[in-house]
Amino acid sequence: MMSHLSCRNIHKKFGQQTVLEGIDFSLDKGECLVLLGPSGCGKTTLLNILSGAIAADGGELHLDGEALDIPARGIHVPMRQRGFSMVFQDFSLWPHMSVEDNVSYGLRIRGIKRQERIKRVQRVLEQVQMTEFKDRHPATLSGGQQQRVSIARALAVQPRLILLDEPLSALDARLREDLKSEIARLLKDNGLTAVYVTHDQSEAFALGDQVALMYQGRIEQMGSPQEIYRQPRSRFVAGFIGSSNLFEYRRNGTSLILGDEIHVPMPLETLPETGHMVLRRESVRVVPDSSQNAANDEICLPAVCHHSQFLGDRHEVLARLVDDTLVRGFADDLINPGHPVEIRFSMHAMHFVER
Amino acid sequence: MAALIHSPLLGRAGVALGIRLPLLLVAAVLILAMGYPLLLLFLSSIYPDILGGSLDGFLDAYRRIGQTHDMLPMLWNSLAWAGATTVVSWLFGIPCGYYLARTNLPGKLWARLSLLVPIMTPPYIAALSYILVMQEGGFSDSLLGVMPETLRAWFFSFWGVTLVMALSSFGYVALAVEAGLQSIPRRLEDASGMFGATWSQTARLIVIPLLLPAILNSGLLVFLEALSNFGVPAVLGTRSNLPLLPAEIFFLVTSWPVDLALATALSSLLCLFALFTLYGSRILANILGGGNLKPGAVHTHALGAGGMLLGWLWFGGLFALSTLLPYFAMLLTSLADQWTDGLPSLTLDHYRSLFAAGSRGLDALLTSLWLAVAAASICVVVGSYIAYVNVRSSGPLQKILDGLAMLPRVIPKIVMAVALILAWNAPWLPFTLYNTVWMLLFAYVVIYITDALNYSNSRLLSMSPNLENAAAIAGANRIQIFLQIVLPQLRPVLIAAWLTTFIVTMRELVASMLLLPPGVDTTATYIFNQFEQGDISTAMAMATVTILLSTIVLALFQIRRRSV
Repeated sequence: MMSHLSCRNIHKKFGQQTVLEGIDFSLDKGECLVLLGPSGCGKTTLLNILSGAIAADGGELHLDGEALDIPARGIHVPMRQRGFSMVFQDFSLWPHMSVEDNVSYGLRIRGIKRQERIKRVQRVLEQVQMTEFKDRHPATLSGGQQQRVSIARALAVQPRLILLDEPLSALDARLREDLKSEIARLLKDNGLTAVYVTHDQSEAFALGDQVALMYQGRIEQMGSPQEIYRQPRSRFVAGFIGSSNLFEYRRNGTSLILGDEIHVPMPLETLPETGHMVLRRESVRVVPDSSQNAANDEICLPAVCHHSQFLGDRHEVLARLVDDTLVRGFADDLINPGHPVEIRFSMHAMHFVER
Repeated sequence: MAALIHSPLLGRAGVALGIRLPLLLVAAVLILAMGYPLLLLFLSSIYPDILGGSLDGFLDAYRRIGQTHDMLPMLWNSLAWAGATTVVSWLFGIPCGYYLARTNLPGKLWARLSLLVPIMTPPYIAALSYILVMQEGGFSDSLLGVMPETLRAWFFSFWGVTLVMALSSFGYVALAVEAGLQSIPRRLEDASGMFGATWSQTARLIVIPLLLPAILNSGLLVFLEALSNFGVPAVLGTRSNLPLLPAEIFFLVTSWPVDLALATALSSLLCLFALFTLYGSRILANILGGGNLKPGAVHTHALGAGGMLLGWLWFGGLFALSTLLPYFAMLLTSLADQWTDGLPSLTLDHYRSLFAAGSRGLDALLTSLWLAVAAASICVVVGSYIAYVNVRSSGPLQKILDGLAMLPRVIPKIVMAVALILAWNAPWLPFTLYNTVWMLLFAYVVIYITDALNYSNSRLLSMSPNLENAAAIAGANRIQIFLQIVLPQLRPVLIAAWLTTFIVTMRELVASMLLLPPGVDTTATYIFNQFEQGDISTAMAMATVTILLSTIVLALFQIRRRSV
């Protein structure tokens, strides 16, 4: 199947500063791509290029076989001819129009008849559960309600591509949680192809069929959320996604030396001489003493509890290894700081990256 | 947002700061200084003899308005003239605002300055200068050859007076439209463009509706200013056979036979018109929408050569009419000695006589100077305190206070002046300021405290009460909080308010004309009287000095601010 949206080698500079450097990706119809990354990584610029608000300096952008941006051939389809819609971080609802007028605006511009407009607005407002607010003005709604209207406005025109620019970051944590799953459902129900920008990992995992982790103007790694999580390709990805322990290692005959002096058995024969080992926080078990039996493939290292905090279902413990490296893991019971502990993890939980 | 403001925590903190007593104090001051005179004015308009202790002649004055020939057309003319001034100001100002906010017109800084000069020039001085240009044997006749009589007749008529007033007020419209356009975030237009809207659809459906409040509000300002302006009607209206309300009230109060009853009735009507306009336009603005916008990135679009030329011609033409022409007339008159063959020989004699020790001119200048400094300082101190108490309290008393503090913004200056005359002439007063210079100082403060109130109010509203709560928790008392936390935060706006008040009171005309004791002059009354008595050169010399003085003060503050 041919990809729906495709981006080839997109470049962008602002003055001397390179903001995007060779962006490549493709996305199938009906899928949601999440652009994830820290602020300043270029994700918003990429979104603006997709929307047509700014033009790329080089590369190619196609949707459904239609060229949208090919600077080398002078092709740039302006924003208003692309047939996309967008959900903004600050909602950007028109304050002088009622909810209904905001949502039906796009249909009105497209010359849809009034009867049909009313029907479609009604349908999308039902989808976002805002029917009872249709005569209100945006200023009288809460942030969450405004964002629902903004989503309805974007859905109403049945866009070829929907762009979402950090739609949840202006809302509080509780609402974010609710709206996150709701947006995911709305996108799937409407069969929409979407590009979603965020710096929040949990949003990326909840919404993305594909996640592109961006860093310094490049896509550092792209794949399904599971791939990104389980097989980070670089230290940056491992550090940005989830909460990981990171060790430098070097090979020493049949074993590995982590940091300066911690020896562990070698799990793979094909490892490079040196590199980094990633160990997820949830793979690390912290036990109060060595009384409990370890499983066969488990590696046990002596340590001292440095700090612990109660999370509700378990305790998160920061433990200090003999070479003073700090390791994060979980314990079932309370451990006081200063208490000797053992940290245990499966050999297969170790993940290696080169960069 | 709303939840934040009404949260019980902040409410309790407000009580903890102990705001009740100051609230009572401020309310008492406002009621005595403004509420009581206005009430008295209104009552005297209904019962003409109430000050003499009699309730006879109920509504007599209003009945006379209805019966007197000329009165109703005069009222209608006043409204029509204010309306026409507003429309002409819109025509002049809206394109200026658009050019400034949304195009890449080069030299925007100069364009903006060219708008500020006419705003800063007192309308009565502009009107006097225009008379010098347009009158028979005036500058136009002597420099350009005799002007066609139809043009002269047109100028000394409804539309000429409208033009002069509009030229001194279109700057407000331009600046308000510019600010309005700039506060519309680009994303609101992007969101529309994304749905395929063309440029004109976006303008029609998004930008213009969002801009309407700015257009309406600036129009309201111009309308109220025109409706209650005294200088232009007194100077130009009388010469154009166009009797207008403020000038009529003035003549009723000052010319024999004095008719206070009719004057109070007309004043009440003028007030009513003003209030009506204010609330009417508020309701209209609510219906038409608008709303709070967060300013965002501004985008301008490139002008073609034609658009650029048109922009420059527009700004340049308005600058020539509103500033160059009147300033030229003013300066030349103040320097002119004898007119020979169309061009005068120049002299500084008029300035010399103005500044001669012990001359009336110098006295007037010094009186205005100390009055302006005193009034501006009192306004800033009292105004900031009133605004502070008002913003940081709640409850029914605060609502009343809010309404009272609004009064000087709406009540025409001449009405306030007439009300003060009544109030300070009441038979039950043990002492009175009337017929002393202190009366004028008091009137200046009451009438011009508006700017200090407005400026402080808007700054305070954007200031979190937690700054004060933090000081209160640290143990500061009420006075310490006001002096150490609130005032420093207000400093920049108070400087601006002081400057505005100083400049405005420095050449204040209407209250000075009505309230000055005999034998004392301010700059404005000096200019006005000298002009009317035919000593035009000295009048214009005084106008030049006054404007120069305000400009110097303004420039000094600008330089200091930049060097800080």
